Amino acid sequence: MELLPQALVDGIMLGAIYIIIAIGFSLVYGVMHVIDFAVGEWIMLGGFAGFYLNEWTHVEPMLLLPAVFAVFAVVGYLFQPLIHRVLSGHRGNPLLMGLVFTFGLSLMFRGLAQTFFGFYSHSVPSRFSNGSFFLQEGGFSMTVSSVRLAGLLYALLITGILHYLLKHTDFGLGVRALAQNRDAAGLMGVNNKRTSAYVYGIYVGISAMTGVLIGMILSLSAKMGPDYTIFAFFVVVLAGMGYLAGVPAAAFLLGIIQSFFLIYLDPGYTLLAVFAILYTILLVSPRGLFGKGV
Amino acid sequence: MAEPILVVDNLTKNFGGLAAVSEVSFQVHPKEIVGLIGPNGAGKTTLFNVISGYFAPSRGKILFQGKNISGKPPYVLAGRGIGRTFQVVKPFPGLSVLENVVIASFLRHPKRARAEEHAWKVLEFTELADKAHQSAASLTLAGRKRLEIGKALALDPTFLLLDEVVAGLNPTEVDHTIDLILKLRDRGITILIVEHIMRVIMRISDRLVVLNFGQKIAEGPPGEVARDPGVVEAYLGGGEA
Amino acid sequence: MKDRRLLGYLFVFAATLLVPAVVHDTFLLRVFTEAVMWIGLAVTFDVLAGYTGYLNFGHSAFFGIGAYTTAILMVRAGWHFAPAAVLGGAAAGIGALIAGFPTLRLRGAYFAIATWALARAIQQLVLIMDVTGGPDGMRLPAFLSPRFFYYVMLGLVGITFFAYWFLLERAPFGLKLKAVREDEQGAKALGLNPTKLKMQAFILSAVPTGIIGGVFAYWVTFIDPASTLGDLVSDQALVMVVFGGMGTLVGPVVGAILIFAFKTAFWAYLSDYEVLYIIILGAVIAGSVVFLPNGVLGVLPQRGRRNGPSPEEKGPGAVLPETEGGNSHG
Repeated sequence: MELLPQALVDGIMLGAIYIIIAIGFSLVYGVMHVIDFAVGEWIMLGGFAGFYLNEWTHVEPMLLLPAVFAVFAVVGYLFQPLIHRVLSGHRGNPLLMGLVFTFGLSLMFRGLAQTFFGFYSHSVPSRFSNGSFFLQEGGFSMTVSSVRLAGLLYALLITGILHYLLKHTDFGLGVRALAQNRDAAGLMGVNNKRTSAYVYGIYVGISAMTGVLIGMILSLSAKMGPDYTIFAFFVVVLAGMGYLAGVPAAAFLLGIIQSFFLIYLDPGYTLLAVFAILYTILLVSPRGLFGKGV
Repeated sequence: MAEPILVVDNLTKNFGGLAAVSEVSFQVHPKEIVGLIGPNGAGKTTLFNVISGYFAPSRGKILFQGKNISGKPPYVLAGRGIGRTFQVVKPFPGLSVLENVVIASFLRHPKRARAEEHAWKVLEFTELADKAHQSAASLTLAGRKRLEIGKALALDPTFLLLDEVVAGLNPTEVDHTIDLILKLRDRGITILIVEHIMRVIMRISDRLVVLNFGQKIAEGPPGEVARDPGVVEAYLGGGEA
Repeated sequence: MKDRRLLGYLFVFAATLLVPAVVHDTFLLRVFTEAVMWIGLAVTFDVLAGYTGYLNFGHSAFFGIGAYTTAILMVRAGWHFAPAAVLGGAAAGIGALIAGFPTLRLRGAYFAIATWALARAIQQLVLIMDVTGGPDGMRLPAFLSPRFFYYVMLGLVGITFFAYWFLLERAPFGLKLKAVREDEQGAKALGLNPTKLKMQAFILSAVPTGIIGGVFAYWVTFIDPASTLGDLVSDQALVMVVFGGMGTLVGPVVGAILIFAFKTAFWAYLSDYEVLYIIILGAVIAGSVVFLPNGVLGVLPQRGRRNGPSPEEKGPGAVLPETEGGNSHG
């Protein structure tokens, strides 16, 4: 059983990364009412951006994160009006069309990535990748890899920044107002279009940055997107749709499941386990682990 | 007096920690028109949603024709004879006016041909027959409100909950709708109506139930209620005309 | 007017019965058979997507369940093809019941992603099980009669189409589904049980899909997780429906024919560029949403379209995203 604490610690550090993915995903859902099927592809594209930037500049990938964020935030900001157009155009069922649209995008991105990045897995080389701490406490011992620890710190930092943005700025007030009541927010002078574009930009930016970290901790491949889209959805459903406070617990749970399967069982079973839990939650408590979702 | 058709008994509905409706009790008798009034946020629509099965009550119960219906879903209640309209009118926008009413007619007439026949009768009654083949979304507000009544009527209800069916209409349309409501009562339908326009509610209601902050503050004939100091304070003093 | 349409459908169907009399080339008949199969997969997809407003991104799961059930019954239990395929359909129906039960009560987004995850989970499951042959797939007893399979596929898809036509365009069921699609809360007040109706639609979509999967398995004599449960099955069904026109019966048929013709031509000349095909699929899906909201059928001159008014006739209320939960306060 000496691997158990190891699986827990690994899982928590991995889970921290899913927190940020899920928060971005939830924000977009709250503000734009669209489930973004391309979330996994934004992560994948961001990861490859980090990979190639690193190959080209040889700068430590942790230091490249702001650049990746900036580029993808702009991409997301420019992309949002297209989604907005789909959602507000003269169509019978805009929400359905939004789903179809992002699904089409995800296919396109995946295909393009396979064309340009090939079919092989890569990992982003970081100087943190090889370092690790060895902890020994009585009979227990475990290895804490530096890159996972860096991931945890990164996740805490981003979560903190997002928390500040949402709770203590006018922009955050606008976002929360939009998420609660679009019409009333409009009356209060919140610019729906612009706020949504910023939110989408921020979300794409942090998803892409997170992709670089995933490339450092695990690996990158052009086909990785769908797994992460399902992970994002898993966390959001477990947390309760729209209940951000539930996200960390759900994300840690996912990280632990993943580490557990990686260490004890075949990682091929991870998706099955994720689906089984997802199904059970939808069945028993569709409003999430805490019953606080919408 | 005859057995009440609807008994609302000590009904409470909480949202989180907030009581939108708190310990409200009243009765409605067959063929009555009862007006439910109160300032904005008084809990009228919540009460409607609980009675029509959209929300389960937190406490208390609702009896319809002597049977407890608390927590039964709306589609079961529709089958029992409770029809309702929505404050924000909700026609099925992609369907025609006729199709909208046909869908409601399926409840009593499962065969399509019979349902269409029934729907035509309802459309004639609500004076929408000439617009039957238009899309529901193309109707004017007055038309949409009448379609909303028509859909509820197509269920052949014994009890009808009308939520602000005249708000936003011009005076001619208002009179028109009042006539329609009175005709419904003449057909033997019992009506519970929420309305902001005092002129209307005073004219058509046999009795009024007044809510404020989720609680019942008065009940009685319109003339009496209008003179009730508590009501004047809460309702008329609240800036409403 | 409706009956004239039915005559048209029957005429086209009768004409397709004559195809084997004219087409003697085995390869070409295979192409026709596959085209009919895709028409079936597109139409079954649209029952749920177009009429109910729920996107099944895991359509392949039901195709694959049907294919594998048929294959297992035939290979491991020695069943005859016909009962095996029917049971394949039943298995798909049960799969829909199980998958739909928790998800159809919720908003469409849950359903879309849950079915998508389901398809992947089932693919994973098939890969690790012994009875399915895992990644090696399964080989079925070969029955090499192109005509037989053409007629079986055509009969199956034909029955499905006409059954759908009756249920969705003539019987009350179709209108009830549309009511639920347009406004679920409002539909409840009219005595409709949305969850039950959606479940019926889901099963109605899954059962023929499963049988088609069974026929496919026997026809191609070899199945593996990628060919029956892969993303491509769902993705192609989606693109056919979106491109052809969602929420109609004819739209998916037209979409299926056009996309399948493109696919066949693409594979014939550009089979080395598989990924390009995926990119094109994605682009057609996204592009259709933006430029062809009613599909290619929507750009043709309209004459008494069955699916209600065109979007131009809809009021502003029709285009706002639905508000959830209704009004809680009076």
